Amino acid sequence: MNEPAAGCEFAEEPPADLASSEFSSLYAENSRAIYYLALRFLGDPQKAEDATHDVFLKAFRKLDQFRGEASLRTWLYRIAINHCQNLRQGWHDRHVFSNADDAVWENAAARTDSPLRVLEIKELGQRIQKTLAGLPDEYRLMLLLVADEELSYEQVGALVGQSPDAVRGKLHRARKAFAALFEKTA
Amino acid sequence: MKHQTKLSQEQQSRQVGTEHQTQQPAAREFANAEELLRYDAAHTPVPPAIAQRLQKSTGDLPGPKTAWWKRLFGGANR
Repeated sequence: MNEPAAGCEFAEEPPADLASSEFSSLYAENSRAIYYLALRFLGDPQKAEDATHDVFLKAFRKLDQFRGEASLRTWLYRIAINHCQNLRQGWHDRHVFSNADDAVWENAAARTDSPLRVLEIKELGQRIQKTLAGLPDEYRLMLLLVADEELSYEQVGALVGQSPDAVRGKLHRARKAFAALFEKTA
Repeated sequence: MKHQTKLSQEQQSRQVGTEHQTQQPAAREFANAEELLRYDAAHTPVPPAIAQRLQKSTGDLPGPKTAWWKRLFGGANR
């Protein structure tokens, strides 16, 4: 899989005349988070690019409907998750990872108290993608959302339809599953 | 609380190996999957083409109206 090239520090900087200053700020502050979620959830840079464009276009059209009941970041994540899940529904692999049986991962060989060791940063993106692709969708999404420090467990729970306590519980298994699969990609 | 936990996890991240071992690539350790994903996200640039496409896509549309809560409160972003 082609990984996006690193090094464009201001790649998420929108053109100055991008429609409105409000939308421009929205894009500047959130495009990295939304693009990363789409990239790692869909596993394809081109699809992630298209999805990010579509998510922000949808946000542009509906910005006046945002009622402030959630943060803008959470609102954008909601749009992005729905969009990506709709895309995946049409894909042949949607049933491949239906093994969201927690017991399977509870018995995974990896220990969650061991750090993840990375020797080769250059291929890290590919390893992460391969690992995430082997996880149940629920774990993948949860890990990606929890990795965003701007989101609380309450917000993550709202986005995945779980209580904060359930998120914490599943996160333990998701970490374990990730560690077990990540080791195999070395 | 969660934020503090995450920050402490960041501090646990460390370079393994020494300055003297220049022949061997330094390994990097991450406390857990989220920390690894956070690192990966920080090093994954957003393609500039998205902003360019958005500029075209939104060019023909009327700008977003101000949300009701911003009209009322003059609004913070979050």
